[in-house]
This record gives sequence, structure tokens and C-alpha cells, in this order.
Amino acid sequence: MTDTPTLLSRIRFRDAGTLLGLVIIGVVFATLTPVFLTTPNLMNILQQSSINACIALGMTLVIISGGIDLSVGPIAALAAVLGAAMMVAGVPIPLAVLGAIAVGVACGAFNGALIAWGGLQPFIVTLGGLSLYRAFALIFTGGTPIFGIPPEFRALTNGTLLGIPNPVVIVAVLALIAWVVLNRTPLGEYFMAIGGNAEAARISGVPVTLTKMSAYMISGGLAAIAAMILIGRLGAAEPTLGTLWELDAIAAAAIGGASLSGGRGSIIGTLIGCIILGALRNGLTLMNVQAFYQLLATGIIIIVAMLIDRATSGKEG
Amino acid sequence: MIAPRLALYDVVKSFAGNTVLHSVALTVQPGEVHGLLGENGAGKSTLLNILSGVLSADAGRIEIDGTPVTIGSPRAATAAGIAMIHQELQQVPELTVAQNIFLGASLRHYAGLAVNRRAQEAEARRILSPLDPTIDVTAPIRTLRVAERQIVEIARALRARARIIAMDEPTSSLTPREFDRLVAVIERLSAQGVSVIYVSHKMDEVYRVCQSATILRDGRLMGRVVIPDVPVNTVIETMVGRELTGSTHHSHTRDRVVLETRNLTRGRAVQDATLTLREGEVLCIAGLVGSGRTELMRLIAGVDRADSGQVLVNGHPVPGDPRRRIRAGLGLLPEERKRDGIIRHRPVTSNTALPAMARFSWLGLIQRQRLRITTEALMRDVQLRPLSVDRPIGSFSGGNQQKAIIGRWLAADTRIFLFDEPTRGIDVGAKSEIYALIERLASEGRSILVVSSELPEVIRLADRVLVMRQGRIAAELGPGDISEANIARHAIPSQ
Repeated sequence: MTDTPTLLSRIRFRDAGTLLGLVIIGVVFATLTPVFLTTPNLMNILQQSSINACIALGMTLVIISGGIDLSVGPIAALAAVLGAAMMVAGVPIPLAVLGAIAVGVACGAFNGALIAWGGLQPFIVTLGGLSLYRAFALIFTGGTPIFGIPPEFRALTNGTLLGIPNPVVIVAVLALIAWVVLNRTPLGEYFMAIGGNAEAARISGVPVTLTKMSAYMISGGLAAIAAMILIGRLGAAEPTLGTLWELDAIAAAAIGGASLSGGRGSIIGTLIGCIILGALRNGLTLMNVQAFYQLLATGIIIIVAMLIDRATSGKEG
Repeated sequence: MIAPRLALYDVVKSFAGNTVLHSVALTVQPGEVHGLLGENGAGKSTLLNILSGVLSADAGRIEIDGTPVTIGSPRAATAAGIAMIHQELQQVPELTVAQNIFLGASLRHYAGLAVNRRAQEAEARRILSPLDPTIDVTAPIRTLRVAERQIVEIARALRARARIIAMDEPTSSLTPREFDRLVAVIERLSAQGVSVIYVSHKMDEVYRVCQSATILRDGRLMGRVVIPDVPVNTVIETMVGRELTGSTHHSHTRDRVVLETRNLTRGRAVQDATLTLREGEVLCIAGLVGSGRTELMRLIAGVDRADSGQVLVNGHPVPGDPRRRIRAGLGLLPEERKRDGIIRHRPVTSNTALPAMARFSWLGLIQRQRLRITTEALMRDVQLRPLSVDRPIGSFSGGNQQKAIIGRWLAADTRIFLFDEPTRGIDVGAKSEIYALIERLASEGRSILVVSSELPEVIRLADRVLVMRQGRIAAELGPGDISEANIARHAIPSQ
């Protein structure tokens, strides 16, 4: 009997595929516009991808655990306006940031509780959350942006570390933590187990409710962090920020190999997926392609990625 | 001499350089019931898939009534008169019996614009009545029992004018009475000249329904035998490729009671179940399908909540939650391994670690190397084949999945094993390995509860037997009283 490839090598194989996709897109744009392959532009791509990546990390864990989180954009908006309000009101910055993250985690806990204990479907619960948290953000602000984010905080998100933009550094650290959680901790095994087969996981002693809760809480917390990065860069917190973030995050996770039926996904793949989406938009903008066509290209990339996935993984999908 | 109804010659099939069928041949005469035997992985499924057009052979010929045919698609197989009755029936539960029989080939009227329900129902009734006149052709499929659905599937094959019907493990979820009915249907098919290819692991069934059989092992043709001229043991040894070690029952029961249930009740499924299990004891729970055996096991494992009653481990009550029960030393090995037992995409290591994560972690991080070494040692111990613990558990055969789940509970240091149908869907060779493992667990002082529908299995394993009937424990049989007749007498409701 010949040995089939192990799961480990198969996932790496999948990540290599995503990376190959990125390389192809890079080569195409590098030949079409000379600016694309310059260091400042590459940094620019990473920076532009960092917020989506932050959201997509949490989305990947949720998807692996067999769920979906449609409410990340509104959670980010709520965390943004509450965090900004605290900063403007003079709350020390570290405390305000922690407060905003706590808001995100709390929203995630609310989603998770309805899903894990209430037994409701993730899609519907977070669809409800999508309206609910957006409404809270709009009601709290009366629909107007909060200005006056302290310059010390703005300096933090606009600064660089060894030439790398701080948001990229922050998200890289978060990604490393997410990778460790998924691949090296019991929680990560539990995510994959309940996403792969929730009933078998329960019979094997996996704490299913707590595991599901943690996925949504992590997702909510990461949405809040993404919001902090954004308001630092913009200098204002709009209650309408984060519109359609959930779709970009799901797209990145799916391009990176996450299976929407749960049980499978990769942090590295998701990161590359984010960069693919970022590079595509950046390259098309450099070529002065209209936004309409950028949308078209994004759609095509997602569908092509799924078709390639299907064709290479055979019947297992 | 007339040509055989179906003949395959020199069929070869490989996947990615791995040859799974080496020059296999198969002949079936008109009206013959022909067994296709072999362990899991012997190539039976591949051969059936080639016959039904799902796969195409790399080389070889197929002839029907002496005429060469090419079966390039499932549609071509149907046109050639070949039908498959899969283990998992391919029906639409919400549609009626008649609609399912005419699925994809509906009878039309009004110039083909509308389905002619009345004609379909009349025709369905005509096909079904000789098979089973009690089936209502207007009932939705979901209201039928599995045995009835199977007959509907056979009716669909007859509607498509099938001359060769292949049945893949048709009895895996049938009661003995339903099996008798299926035998009657098969005999009727045979009398009408329809050939049947019967795939099964159960030798008593094969000897009852088949006139001949083809034996495969590791993708090779081991021979064609005429039944019952060749003795069962020869057939099994040809299938397995080694002599089966017989065993004599030997009890390891000690005095100490490790598990007690008191008046466990859940709805009407389980009522007032009180039992005790001793250290080193193998206690079997027999009874008909639906008598509450699986439900009782799930209550003991804490997977379902009891309405009332208690479970005590080593004399202490343990709350009804899977994690608490696991910590107390219980482990459930469910009947439906694919559905309830394994995380199929995950490697054996990850599947093993689930109940015992704390043992493999240090400062919150999983010690992959330690997990791997421990898993490998455990899997060597239970004789997992192939011994590659990084492979997804779903890629192993049923028997090896079961061994891996035994290994999972060994890793969690489980003292009380709850086996629900431990050898369901497992081939003959792996079966005796599972029995040997269960006996070894008992000899190590672990206690075992086994739910089984196979009476020979119960008789082989049990130190003591409880018989369930309609949700209650109806009888207890001690060592001297364990016999098929005694079990059957208590299992069947008296009217």
C-alpha cells in the first residue's frame, strides 16, 4: 500500500497553492506597472491588507469551528465609536483600547451564547448581530462621526517599526498568536474537532459550548482591534465604518483554504488570501482601473480559487 | 451452453499508480444470486463502482448476455440493465414511494408537460405488490422503515428493467425478520431471471441466499466458489489470507462493582434501567433494534440527559455530562463511527488526544512529539494498520477506525468501555481482532459493556447478558444460561 500524503503535508500543499496564486498575481502586475514591485508600494499593500487580515484571523477560527461571523463589521464600528468616545473623554489610551476590545469580546460572547447555548444557527445569529451592533453604534453617535482622536494614539498606528508600518507589525504578532492557538493548543484542536464533527467531539469530551463561545469572542476582539487601527489612521470614528468587512474576511479565509463546512482552514493561507485581495486592488488602482472592475476582479479571483480548490482536492471537498 | 448474464474479464483498475484491482473476473448466470466477498479494501467497492459506471476500468472486458458493452457512466449502466442498491439508500425522503420509483424517469401526460401521478402510482403498485403489498405507494419515503425503503429501491431497479441488481451490504440495518423478507424478495427476483450480486460480510447470510460467490483479496481474484459445496471456514480463510484463531471464553470478572445505574429513565426509550458492572467483566446488552440499548448506553455515557435515575462510578454518583463521565473513567465507542466517532479529516493523533488533552499539554501548549510517540505506541498495541498516525482517520478501514477509537480511550486511561455494536460494518478479519482486544481489556481489569445485535458475538464475548425489551431490562442471563434461544425468548415481546 502506498502512503497517502499526511494531513500536515496536505495543508502545506494547500498553502503553497495559495502562495503560488499570489506570486502569479504579483508577476502579472509587476510586468504591467513598474511601480508595483517597489518597496514602498509593497509596504502599502501590506498596510492596506492589515485590517482585513486582522478580521480574517478571527473569521478563520470561527469558520474552522463550523460557524460564520457576519457581524464583525458592525462590532468593529461599535468598538470604534465607544473607544473613540472614551479617548475623547480623557480616558487613558491603554484603558480606552482595552475597553474597546472588551466591547468586541462582549459582542462576540453574545453571538456565541446564542449559538452555543441557544442552539441557533450562526448565520442567522450573526446576521441579527450585524443589524444590532450597527444600530447601537448609530444610536450612540446619532449617526455622526466622532472626531478628536488623540495624536499620541494616532502616532501609534501611523508609526513604523524598523521601516515596517505598525499596523502590519501588530497584525503579524496577532497572526503568530492565532497560528499558535490553532496548531499548538488544545483550543485549536477543539476548533477543528467541532468543525469537523461536533457530535463526535462532544462524545470524545470536547467542551463544545465553551469552544464555540471562544471562537466568537476571539472574532469580536479582533474586530475591535481592527477598528482601533482604522480610527488611529483616520483620526475619526465613523459609526458606519466596517461595512462589508465580513465579506472580505470570508473571501480571504476561503481563498486561503478554509472550508465553509468547518473543520479545515489555515492561518497562513488566510494571510496570503488577504494579501492576494490587497495586491489585486492595489495593482488595479495603479493601472487606473475603475472601481467597478476591481469588484469584478475580486469576484473572479474568489470563484477561480474555489474552482482550483475543487479540482485539486478531488471528491473530498 | 448459454452465455452468462454478466461476465467481467481481466478487469484492472489503479488509482495514482496504486493498483486496486489486478485482472479480476466475475461471472453471473441469469437468475443466479452471486456473493461478492472480501475484506474492506479487497476491491469490492471499486468493482461495484465499475459495474455501475461511476468508475471506468483501466483494462478488461464486460459482457452482458455474451455481448461486449462499455459502461462509461451511471446512465449507461442503467441502460445496460445494471442497478445498484447502495448501503445508504439514494432516495428523496420527502417524495412519495411512487415518485421515488420514477425519479428521473417520470411518466408524463399533457404532451409531456405534467407528471402523470396516477399512472406512476398504478405502475408502482404493480411492481411493488409481488415484493411487498403492504407498502403504500403514496406515502412519503421518510415514513418508511429502512427495510421497506430497500424494497422500494429494488422496485425502482425493476422499473428501469434491471437484469442485474447489485446489493451492497443490504442487511446492515435490518432485523432478522426483515432479513427473512429480503430473502423472499431475492428469491422472487431470481425466479424472474434477474441476477443478484450480493455483497456482505456475514457468512450465514451469504450461505443462505447465494448459489455461488467470488472472493477477492487485496484486489486479486482468489477464486469462484459454489455454495454450499465449500465450507464457511475455507471461504473466510481465503478472504482473510490467514487462519482464524478460535477462542474459548475466559472470564476475568472480579468482585468490585465499578459501575452502577439506578432506575435510569428517559422518556419511553429507557425505563427504570438498573444494572451493575464489575471490574474485568464483559456485560453484553442484547435485544431487538429499538429496544433501548443504544439509548441506555448514551445515558450512561452522559451524552443524553436522563429524566431520572443515577449513574454511579466506584460508588459515587457522577453528573450526566460527557466530560464528567469521561473523567470518571467511562468511554463510549458509538455504533455510527463516521457520524459520532471520528473527526475524519483530522489525523489519528488529533483524534486520540481529544479526551485526554491535559495529558498531552504543558503550559497550555500541546506537546506534539509526546502526543505522536504515545499515539504510535498505543496504535501499535491495538495493531492499527497501516501504522501511520499522521494520516486522517477517515482514510482507514472501519475496523482500523474502531481500533483507533479504542486507542483514544486507552490514552484517556478509560476504565469502563461502552461498546455500541463494536463490529458493525467491520470485516471478518478485523472482527476477531476487535474481539481479542475486548478480551484483553477485560484481562487488564477494565470493564466492558457491549451492545450487540449479533448473537454469536454476544455468546463469544459475554460473561453475563442483559436482555432489553421495549425500553426495560427484561432478563439477566448468567454464564450457564447464555444461548441464542434464551436471548431470543426474552427479547421478543410476548403477545
